[in-house]
Amino acid sequence: MKKNIFAKIFVILLAVAFVAGFSTAAVAKKIRIGGIMDTTGATSDVGKDYAIGMADAFKYINSQGGVNGKKIRYVWFDYGYRIPEAITKYKMQKRLGSVAIMGWGTGDTEALSPTVNKDKIPYVSASYSAHLTDPKKTPYNLFFSSDYSTNARSAITAWFDKKWPKHKDFGKRKPRFACCYMFASPYCSAPIKAIKDQAKLLGFEIGPDQDVSLFALDTKSQIMALKKFKPDLLWHGNTTMSVAATVRDAYALGLGTDWIVNNWGFDENLPRLAGKAAEGVMGATPCAFFGQDYKNMDLVVSSAEKYSPGVPIGKRLIRTVQAWGDALVLWEAMKRADKAGVDLTKKGCGPGIMKKGFETMRNFDIGLGAAPISYTATDHRPATGCLIQEWKGGKFQPVEAVDLKKRWPQKWAKEWLGW
Amino acid sequence: MSSVWLPCGDYHQNYAEDQGWWQTNFLKGKMILLLAVVFIGIPLFVDEYWISVGTMIGYTAMGALGVQLLIGYAGLLTLGHAAFIAVGAYTSVMLILQFPWPQFLLDWGLAYPISVFIAGIVAGLWSVLFGLPSAKVKGFYLILTTMAAQFITVDFILTQYISQIGGRGQAFSLPPGTIKIGPWVIENDTQVYFVMAVVLTLMVIVLANLLRSKPGRAWVAIRDNDIAAEALGINIVWYKLLAFFVAGFMAGIAGAFWVCNTAALSPEHFQWFLSLWLVGVILIGGVGSIQGAIFGSIFMVVVMELLQTGAIPLAEYYPKILVDFAYIKDMAFGLAICAFLIYEPNGLAYRWWQAKNYFNLWPFSY
Repeated sequence: MKKNIFAKIFVILLAVAFVAGFSTAAVAKKIRIGGIMDTTGATSDVGKDYAIGMADAFKYINSQGGVNGKKIRYVWFDYGYRIPEAITKYKMQKRLGSVAIMGWGTGDTEALSPTVNKDKIPYVSASYSAHLTDPKKTPYNLFFSSDYSTNARSAITAWFDKKWPKHKDFGKRKPRFACCYMFASPYCSAPIKAIKDQAKLLGFEIGPDQDVSLFALDTKSQIMALKKFKPDLLWHGNTTMSVAATVRDAYALGLGTDWIVNNWGFDENLPRLAGKAAEGVMGATPCAFFGQDYKNMDLVVSSAEKYSPGVPIGKRLIRTVQAWGDALVLWEAMKRADKAGVDLTKKGCGPGIMKKGFETMRNFDIGLGAAPISYTATDHRPATGCLIQEWKGGKFQPVEAVDLKKRWPQKWAKEWLGW
Repeated sequence: MSSVWLPCGDYHQNYAEDQGWWQTNFLKGKMILLLAVVFIGIPLFVDEYWISVGTMIGYTAMGALGVQLLIGYAGLLTLGHAAFIAVGAYTSVMLILQFPWPQFLLDWGLAYPISVFIAGIVAGLWSVLFGLPSAKVKGFYLILTTMAAQFITVDFILTQYISQIGGRGQAFSLPPGTIKIGPWVIENDTQVYFVMAVVLTLMVIVLANLLRSKPGRAWVAIRDNDIAAEALGINIVWYKLLAFFVAGFMAGIAGAFWVCNTAALSPEHFQWFLSLWLVGVILIGGVGSIQGAIFGSIFMVVVMELLQTGAIPLAEYYPKILVDFAYIKDMAFGLAICAFLIYEPNGLAYRWWQAKNYFNLWPFSY
């Protein structure tokens, strides 16, 4: 009998929660923003911190009065990096009345982009794929950071500028270059064409790609295959865990190469996981590392302490800062759109947020060490270059801030948009 | 005697009656009502989100039907079914994007339907290839050979070679308006739902018919005891391979259908977890039952969605639930499988059968 009563109470509670969850009337005056995150899937090693950081950022934004006095209701779901699930989660966000969505991976962001275009909902993702930067094809996809192709081009350029001239074979032969990444992952493969194009432009000899899984714990066979080619420089396009495994194996097997890493594989956990092997690894940094001295970093750190006390500050990563970057550009766009008379509490305000918000931004500084951000109606590449940093002597140190637009203005304007 | 009700205790007197489609008018009415709900009720009265959930249920059921045929009816364990779904999806997309279709086929909207059929054939033949070891091995060993299908097909062939065709590498994007069936361009959730409903209905009819014919009886005989089946004169290798072909064909159709639900395709859509998920679906739904595959799909998709929905308001008071929920959801999947294996090994289909029998015999049930 007791069991039955408990079961009934549980069912009633669940039903109330369910109905309340779907009720749009309960929060009619709030601006609804949705999130689709990965905290359990293939990229959860970086996704969890991003998801927590995003939630912190929206709490902070609400504490500051939201968007010109209108509070935000931010609801996010984990999709476990499973694309079919991302599609249903997106539909649920749409059903809940989200006027903008904070997304995650490249595979699902690209899979959803035709639907996003149709629904006209701004989709601010953690995928910085350059394939999402051409407004002719993806007018509602956005992010705050330099795109992956810009990161990759900047990283190889920085190495070519700063490291290659110090090499013993400089001037005697072409530098040798190859790529390690998970072939099956759209995130990992997104900048490969661009980085090889840049390698050709700079005069590299390009070797065979190595397939390294996002889950890789052992990459000795790939390193052995690379030993035959003897690369001077390797690009790693995965996330931190598999980058650490590869860098460690390369160190153990004496490959003796330099590494450049895409932004999702280069964070505070890399030296923790790779130890000595991480020394000298260079990577693209779309913004400052967690806790570095920048204008708005205090807000990020204090919000992390205040809103997520369960996660020790020492374990927070640059991913939190990246989440803040995306949240802050959306906040700014919404404030501008709201001032221009767009009603953000109603469905269908996406075009207004784009035209009166995002696409009015010119050199907007989020105060977190990111390059100044601009969006135009014809170009959604937020930044024209990227700061490349290196793990050296127990800390991250700048190598070079590469500005591709300044160095190759013609190519930047006419050739490199959208890939 | 055809009547509205089956009289209590008076069952069929010959095989044809026993296997008949429309055994009573009541049953016919039930089926018509079900079709009316699926084709009219849901699209009319349900919002876009639940329609997309319905589409996911249908996609899961399409994949699960093939797994049900292999595991539930033919006794051939498989853990690589996502590979055959992937083959179907890629075949359909490659045909749409790369094949020089005559203009009249494009104008008449036949390119996609033809590509779906060819996708089924290619996936069926590919499945037969990985079914060949079933002539020699079964049980755990067969699981390993089917898992090889996953790694060889998705991680190697599709990723390293097929995905590279056309320049983009790894992901194919279908331009808007590419998926056309006759005069209809499939571009919104309701249209995709209708495609799913039609395809799933046809698949259920085909599979149900196959199961009450000679191959179906042969598959069940092989599942129950392959040595006895061979002694009865059943060519067990032929029927096992036929089972792989039909299951692969249905997986191929499911994959080709998936293409119209998402306009971009990459190997990430068909990871190994999908194969495992489909086995979980039939374990929960009921092994050896077509309804089981459908009940399992409904359970797995809807319960996960409801759990998530229930967590939203709770997050107002306990914010950490949304972080923890990720684990709760995956844990629920594992727990559901364990719970069903322990407490209801015959799955939801058995409960359905019990409920049906109760009402069929009411008020004299015993």
